[in-house]
Amino acid sequence: MGTGTPGATPSGTVPAELAAACADVRAAGHADQIAGVPARYVAAPGSTDEASALLRAAAGLGLTLVPRGSGRRQHWGNPPTSCDLIVDTGRLDKVVEHAAGDLIVTAQAGVPLPDLSQVLAAARQHLAIGPRTMVEGGTVGGLVATNAADSWRYRYGAPRDLLIGITVVRADGVIARSGGKVVKNVAGYDLGKLFAGSYGTLGLITEATFRLHPLPGAALGLGVQQKDAESAAAMVQTIQYSPVAPSSIDLRWPSPAAPIWLLVGLEGDRESVLTRAARLRALVGPALLPGAQPDGANVHEPESAAPAHRTEDQLRADLQSRALDEGTLVRVAFWVGRLAQVLTAIQGAAATNGIDVAIEGSAGAGVLEARAPASSAPMAVAAFVTDLRAALSGLGAGSVVPGVASAVVVYAPDEVRNVTDMWGPVPSRDLMRAVKDQFDPEHRMAPGRFAGGI
Amino acid sequence: MDGNDVIGNDGLSTVGRSAPASVIRDAAGVDAAFTAMMTEICSPDSVITDPQELRTYECDGLTAHRSTPGLVVLPQTAEQVAAIVRACAARRIPFVARGSGTGLSGGALPRTDGVLIVMSKMRSIIAIDPASRRAIVEPGVTNLSVSKAAEQHGLFYAPDPSSQVVCSVGGNVAENSGGAHCLKHGFTVHHVTGLQVVTPDGELTWLGDGTGAAPGYDLVGAFTGSEGTLGIVTKIIVKLTPIPEAVTTLLAAFTTMGAGGAAVSAIIGSGILPGAIEMMDALAIEAAEAAVNCRYPEGAGAVLIVELDGPTGDVEAQTAAVREICTAEGAYEIRAAQDAAERAAIWTGRKSAFAAVGRISPAYIVQDGVVPRTALESVLDRISALSAETGIRVANVFHAGDGNLHPLVLFDDRRPGEQERAEQLSGTILDLCIEHGGSITGEHGVGVDKSRYMPKMFSAADLDTMQLLRCAFDPHGICNPGKVFPTPRLCGEVPGVRRAPHPLVASGLIDQF
Amino acid sequence: MASESLLDPDGRLRDLAGDCVHCGFCLPACPTYQLWGEEMDSPRGRIHLITQILDGGHGSEAAAEHFDRCLGCMACMTACPSGVQYGQLIEAARSWSERADTATGPPMPLPPRTLRDRAIRAAIFATFPYPARLRAAIGPLRAAQRTGLDQWAARSPLVRRLAPAAAAALSVAPRLARTRPRPTLRRDGAAIISRPGGAIAPTAALYGRGSHADAPSGHRLPARIPAQGSRRAVVGMLTGCVQQVFFPGVNGATARVLAAEGCDVIVPPRQGCCGALSVHGGRRDEAAGFARRTIETFERAGVDAVIVNAAGCGSAMKEYEQLLGEDPGWASRAAAFSAGVRDFSEFLAELGPVAPRAELPLTIAYHDACHLAHAQRITAQPRSLLRGIPGVSVTEIPDAGTCCGSAGIYNLVQPDAAAELGTRKAASVAATGADLVVSANPGCILQLTQALAAAGRPMPVRHVAEVIDAAIMGRPRAALLGG
Repeated sequence: MGTGTPGATPSGTVPAELAAACADVRAAGHADQIAGVPARYVAAPGSTDEASALLRAAAGLGLTLVPRGSGRRQHWGNPPTSCDLIVDTGRLDKVVEHAAGDLIVTAQAGVPLPDLSQVLAAARQHLAIGPRTMVEGGTVGGLVATNAADSWRYRYGAPRDLLIGITVVRADGVIARSGGKVVKNVAGYDLGKLFAGSYGTLGLITEATFRLHPLPGAALGLGVQQKDAESAAAMVQTIQYSPVAPSSIDLRWPSPAAPIWLLVGLEGDRESVLTRAARLRALVGPALLPGAQPDGANVHEPESAAPAHRTEDQLRADLQSRALDEGTLVRVAFWVGRLAQVLTAIQGAAATNGIDVAIEGSAGAGVLEARAPASSAPMAVAAFVTDLRAALSGLGAGSVVPGVASAVVVYAPDEVRNVTDMWGPVPSRDLMRAVKDQFDPEHRMAPGRFAGGI
Repeated sequence: MDGNDVIGNDGLSTVGRSAPASVIRDAAGVDAAFTAMMTEICSPDSVITDPQELRTYECDGLTAHRSTPGLVVLPQTAEQVAAIVRACAARRIPFVARGSGTGLSGGALPRTDGVLIVMSKMRSIIAIDPASRRAIVEPGVTNLSVSKAAEQHGLFYAPDPSSQVVCSVGGNVAENSGGAHCLKHGFTVHHVTGLQVVTPDGELTWLGDGTGAAPGYDLVGAFTGSEGTLGIVTKIIVKLTPIPEAVTTLLAAFTTMGAGGAAVSAIIGSGILPGAIEMMDALAIEAAEAAVNCRYPEGAGAVLIVELDGPTGDVEAQTAAVREICTAEGAYEIRAAQDAAERAAIWTGRKSAFAAVGRISPAYIVQDGVVPRTALESVLDRISALSAETGIRVANVFHAGDGNLHPLVLFDDRRPGEQERAEQLSGTILDLCIEHGGSITGEHGVGVDKSRYMPKMFSAADLDTMQLLRCAFDPHGICNPGKVFPTPRLCGEVPGVRRAPHPLVASGLIDQF
Repeated sequence: MASESLLDPDGRLRDLAGDCVHCGFCLPACPTYQLWGEEMDSPRGRIHLITQILDGGHGSEAAAEHFDRCLGCMACMTACPSGVQYGQLIEAARSWSERADTATGPPMPLPPRTLRDRAIRAAIFATFPYPARLRAAIGPLRAAQRTGLDQWAARSPLVRRLAPAAAAALSVAPRLARTRPRPTLRRDGAAIISRPGGAIAPTAALYGRGSHADAPSGHRLPARIPAQGSRRAVVGMLTGCVQQVFFPGVNGATARVLAAEGCDVIVPPRQGCCGALSVHGGRRDEAAGFARRTIETFERAGVDAVIVNAAGCGSAMKEYEQLLGEDPGWASRAAAFSAGVRDFSEFLAELGPVAPRAELPLTIAYHDACHLAHAQRITAQPRSLLRGIPGVSVTEIPDAGTCCGSAGIYNLVQPDAAAELGTRKAASVAATGADLVVSANPGCILQLTQALAAAGRPMPVRHVAEVIDAAIMGRPRAALLGG
């Protein structure tokens, strides 16, 4: 099956089979492209059954497909090699069930994350992803498909850790569910883990069930300035072993000349947060500069009954002031004990190639993001990535594990993308290809988007 | 093979077996040549052929299902495991991996026509990296010994099944084991960040890299909980958790289960997330007393064990809140452990409950159903009504915080018909769980024991889709076959399709699949 | 094939084995599972083998080997949540091996042991339960020690290959005291036999003119040692076989401490063996014979309690009721006797120590003998007695519940496994950094001494009684640490 079967309808006309399967199908417009690859059709199924019929029809026509939620992260990963049909989840926008007493929620893939947050907050609960991710847009489906996480990764993990049930439609149109509505559940294989972070290459996610946490009554962030990579790494060790149980240990290093900031997030009820903040201040001592505010950070003293919302408002304001996803973002995952070497490797590779990178992320969880500005020369960025990967692979020397750090280019301008290996080497690539072969034997789901050449 | 086994054509003994046939095509069988090969790979000491010795491996913790393995091998290195599996793959000989043999779903039930690969000699803790909060361990290491080794660094390994003194980390990975503290701290899949595995064709490969954010599909997450059907784990990178500053363990006694359940709801509803919250009913308490003399409060219809952990101030505040709630719900005695010894004593009663039940009943069935926590009360009422109707006693031990029930269905196998009634009651309890939107297994796994319930919980399409994963790893169906899925999927040929190459592929920078 | 009904006529063994729910909690507690990681060498696996034999009537050579490899340490019983009486099961299995070795009549369920194994066991059981013979056997040993030949033999690869049991025995044998007992003492000993009332003079000899802890008592205790101060109890004392031959000083110390705490101590002169090694080795008839004689001896003595300072012996004597239960003439006598058996530290703790103790600044690593901790569940009393001595601090040994490898005659019949366990125990003990290791069993003391020396970490090893005795007698700590 190629990008068009012989005798296919001319572009602009929706094939009858698609129209019969799905109520909302149209020819693609100028804006309907995925990472610059234009689509031919756009369909928006309103239910899992309708999505099933749609995908079955698409399979019959041999069409390639790419799921799209809000499009918030459609430029992540490689552009698809082909994109006949965009499957838009906009009509899959219902919160199916919010069992507050059981702390679980089931939502369709197209539910926007900010809307979900609001529904949950009404019962004083939240999906413990964020705070940035839940606020800056995107849908439930996109969240799972990219497994996007930020600061709270340290305490709560990534979406795959909070996902307890999933409904998907396979490339051949078959509907499948795994997991369920209860947190403790080991019946059968966990397809949710497989689909989390799979970038739409295994099938279309139509519904997901998550475990929730109570919304903390108060939140407080403390900034601790460090002079260099070694002292930052030492401070991370101190904090991670401190008894204050932080929700996040983030690092922010806007440029090599700027100081390194560690941002510690504490959540809980008001008294607990204040007590722990005081203990943390005593622990980090002179490193903590009173009143100092790192660039763009927020340090709140809890005042009102629901400061969590205030945090979100401020975050939204902060985010509006800078364009989303500019430049090249490289995500580095590493063993936390190697933090100093990782920071040195990033800055070293950047300096070698004349790029000014900003580093930010969860130092405590071992995931940092290095951002090269959009103005950087594409070849320089490509070389930076290559040099960085070489430096990171050296960190694993002497360990039983083949590698203790990896670098993935999450998104980049087209000129950079064209000369860069976005995903880099993957462990067990052949197994991943075997999995892909089983779920999507014709390779029509988001072809070429993913790691391992998938 | 001794004559006591009746062998079905699927290589599993039919004694107490419930899973239907799974015949391996073109299987060569365990013969003298194969045994010689195994001896060369491991050593004569590590290959067991004596029929009586083989039979000691016929079951794990689930004694209702027994099957004598064709051969037992005890490798000591990952390379040996890979060589064994390669030899099995070449001859299409089925193999089953076994850790400590304490599983409760028959996941390590051997094949009479296959090899049992026992991992208990691979029991080193290879490395601990406190700065990264990681440890690399071999699969035969016991769960508790990981925490013991990590203790000096101020760390512990959070998933703590009740059998943690003996159950192996490899087994924990296979079953995605939970334990009392998984409510707050998560289960095995949340604490495994990398796996070295031997795939069913004998390749040694790493899944993940220990960071928990390696690129590509989350094969670590998919493999964990796959019950030994996708390969054999040879090294595990676990996440270690800082030991909380303070721990309080409370034991609260109520006169009725209902009161205890209400207390649980109130505690969770107040926003507190305890480290653990467990409940036992009068019958389970009776067994535990007989076994370990735990001296729980007299006359309790239910006891609640609540453990709160975290920073000292938080724990103090939460302890006060929990005490208040329990008292409000009618607790007539609340004890707090004053030191580590008292804490251990409170837990000993709970952790030995399953095995202890053997003292108050000749035989029993352990179930592992899950219901939404809000449905706990009505489900427990229903179980007690069913018990009264059938005359079969049920002792209840469970993880109250997450609705994971462990009804212990007690019966006397010498009384005619009682075993059948007990099995029927067990099945009805699982039906109840499914009815309420729960699960047939919260932590013990499906194994052979519950595969017949899978179609009640999942559609044929669901099961078929799950098995696509199995086909990717084990197309010939030799890796722990006959477990989890009642009907194996024929994997067949998979067509591959090629398209116009991506520019990077064309330029040779990357290859595309 | 032996018929099942012969093996288990009243179904008792089957009932006991049926208590096992296969939970596996015993595996990590079992020293042989710790060594080899194989199911057949775990309690759960051995129970399974026993059940197979009960079902099918016969056991393989492999099965027999696994029973022989069991230490009989009972750590599994402490760990078992279901209360399986593993001790009784393994003794039954061992009895099958024993009957096979001496088989005449109907076929036995297990194949007989090798000729060499049988010869070694025969030699052991012909010697150890008879102190006079054991003492005689030591003559050559003492000579070997004087010439240094013993160390050569113990380490010689040739000897170790040809006669591993002998090499093991030589390596664990303590350096025996060079001095013979003084003639005056022996005359006193003879006087005691002819004058059953006992005399003050021999008792004075017990308290000795010298200061060396070992020497004054010689190897025969007076038949009666009167209480010091007001009398609180009249107790009998078992002198043991290995204890009296290798560690007569321990017996002396035991008697002195009991007397100091207000007990009249009766030491029947011709006690004989209590039968522990025999019953633990599955030689039931032999054990029953020893048991009957022991019961008779102490019944005649008319005591409130029988005090035992060897853990293995105490454990066996507390189980006489099971050993003689089937004999209608003896069942109730055995029960009454067993009810009065007390381990030395158990008894003292019950009585409540009153004798003042002088200071002994020492850190002591207390080693739990298996037959005290697991078989008799006595762990707190020895520790609290030691802590009751001013200046003493007691540290815990890591993996305290794991056997040192002595296990009765185990270190003679399974020398490799015993040596490996000894090495592990030595490492654990040495890690405590204590001044002194204290145990309550002569076998453990032998094994620990040898293992620590072999590991290059020699440490003094003493009996609980010796430490308490030193404190009451006001001896300096050097007396315990030297020697």
